[in-house]
Amino acid sequence: MLTPAVAGLALFLLFPLYYVFLYSVGMRYLEQTPKLAELDGHFTSFTLTLWHDFLSPDVYVEILGGSSPALTVPSWVVGITLVALIALTLLGTRISAVYGGRISLVSALVLVSPFATIPWGDGLLRLAELTTSQDSIYLRLFFKSISMAMTSSIFAVVFAFPVAYYMAFVLKKTKYTWILIVITPFLTSYLLRVFAWTIILGDQGLVNSALQKIGLIDQPLTWLLYTQFTVIVVLTYAWVPFICLPIFIALENIDRRLLEAATDLGASRFRAFVKITLPLAAPGMVAAFLFVFIPSIGEYVTPSLVGGTKGYMFGNGIQTQFTGGALDWQTGSVLALFLIVVVLMLTGATSRFLRAGGGGR
Amino acid sequence: MSRGDVAISRPARLVLRVYFVVFLLVLYLPTALLVLFSFNDSNTLSFPIVGLTTHWYSDAVNNPDIVDSVRNSFQIAVGVGIVATVIGLLASYALARSNIRMKGAISALLLVPLVVPTIALAIALLILVKKANLPLLHPGLLALGIGHVVLALPYTVLLILPRISNIDRRLEEAAHDLGASGAQTFRRIILPLIVPSLMAAFLIAFITSIDEVVLASFLLGAEQTYPAYLFAGLRHPDTAAALIPVASAMILLSFLTAFGAEVLRRRGERRLGAAA
Repeated sequence: MLTPAVAGLALFLLFPLYYVFLYSVGMRYLEQTPKLAELDGHFTSFTLTLWHDFLSPDVYVEILGGSSPALTVPSWVVGITLVALIALTLLGTRISAVYGGRISLVSALVLVSPFATIPWGDGLLRLAELTTSQDSIYLRLFFKSISMAMTSSIFAVVFAFPVAYYMAFVLKKTKYTWILIVITPFLTSYLLRVFAWTIILGDQGLVNSALQKIGLIDQPLTWLLYTQFTVIVVLTYAWVPFICLPIFIALENIDRRLLEAATDLGASRFRAFVKITLPLAAPGMVAAFLFVFIPSIGEYVTPSLVGGTKGYMFGNGIQTQFTGGALDWQTGSVLALFLIVVVLMLTGATSRFLRAGGGGR
Repeated sequence: MSRGDVAISRPARLVLRVYFVVFLLVLYLPTALLVLFSFNDSNTLSFPIVGLTTHWYSDAVNNPDIVDSVRNSFQIAVGVGIVATVIGLLASYALARSNIRMKGAISALLLVPLVVPTIALAIALLILVKKANLPLLHPGLLALGIGHVVLALPYTVLLILPRISNIDRRLEEAAHDLGASGAQTFRRIILPLIVPSLMAAFLIAFITSIDEVVLASFLLGAEQTYPAYLFAGLRHPDTAAALIPVASAMILLSFLTAFGAEVLRRRGERRLGAAA
């Protein structure tokens, strides 16, 4: 009885992915064997040139929006550093029982700092930035996507937390009805929820008309639409209802007697919140973060609709290679496979959070 | 001391309540605006609202492109719903009840489509469809349907498998002892207990397919589905106004489907609780 599922997935999932792999390492059709120009998938010789082209450019580390890079590092150093930081964040508590929490927290902050931004204005406000020279666009685009995805994930968690807290601790019998009301928008057309923001953020949209009417601005704010800002806002908006759920489950599972004990022993509500609620809800919040972050890295629809050229993301880079202007399937395959590898590794490394957040049991 | 008092003070509760209301308003604002603009008597989607009209709706109904794409979408979604539910049911039953080897690996394989980025799956299937020279497989509705089944399969398995696993094995053993065949046991014992989760699985697969745009924008030929048509149209703001009415109707439909799936899921839980 398993045959249809396994055969179907082998033929329509694994086999196509194998093709993508072949394309990413097949000898480039412009070189040597003209037969490969037909790109029929029967490659006879293989090369890593395209992978090298994509991954080799030096990475610039820019700090506080400085115009010249503060630091230039080979990309493999950056890659190893990022992987090491992820490992430290996830395994901190196993390294040391006493300092584990602090190790995790510090490495998480170092990990987040070059990517997190405050979405405001044409350029985003940020502490540091990883980028590359202008001519190696794809690695640059990848860092930009990570940054946009990470920013929207952080904001989504921040906006969802009070909602989950309210539903878990204030609402009583009606809470499950309210959860359904909160989550329903997530189940409606993604395209339309994204597109609706052009009505809100456009030059004559809701926000600009309102601000002009009350006299706060004379000219419409043009950076509201078709920028990185827009994509971050819309991604946050699109995912917020969904991630209320894992945070709610984490809060709901907290034993209320712990809080009672804390207050009985003289802790203020704030102290009990910081010392008990927050640490116990942390796994749910991490899960929520990942639920937004992982799918957002490869996002393609949102930037196409509301991102303009400034809000272009890695997914758009892949699309251009296949159906857009660039039309280079082999480079596109390299990009797609890289995205798959990154996402699978992230999912694998964080699966215990994803399971805890998804199942709740 | 009541338990609410421990977690939250009275002023904080008020702040949270205000925040919750504002949150819900913002959450529903974009959808509400779309519905509002579907009645706006203007070619541009911008403020102020000029006047109310229903001509966008009559235009949409008379536009063969829209009508065809909506019909295609529904055909694919129903097909995907049925196929994904049946395959998911078979796989779930096998995983829950038979002692096959590599159970872990197979369950993992079934969940892979959840984590592979859709755009990567889209280009992988595009390469397959264009270059692998498989019979029958060329860009079009069939290729898209197959892609949607791959996307929806993990959801159907995740909905059906736990339900089957939760059924008390002794029910089946009793049926067997009383002389029922395997097929009879399945039809008379298992199936009635999981019907609600089968319907929920169908609805989830249906929703996955009817709203799917990434695969659609890569795998389709001349025939369009509604999301693909919409996606192409929405990228040019001048044509967008004409697309909003059907879009609003679709939103209402998906609201209803979502509620339906949830109601079915709950009923299924209750029924299982009564049986166990």
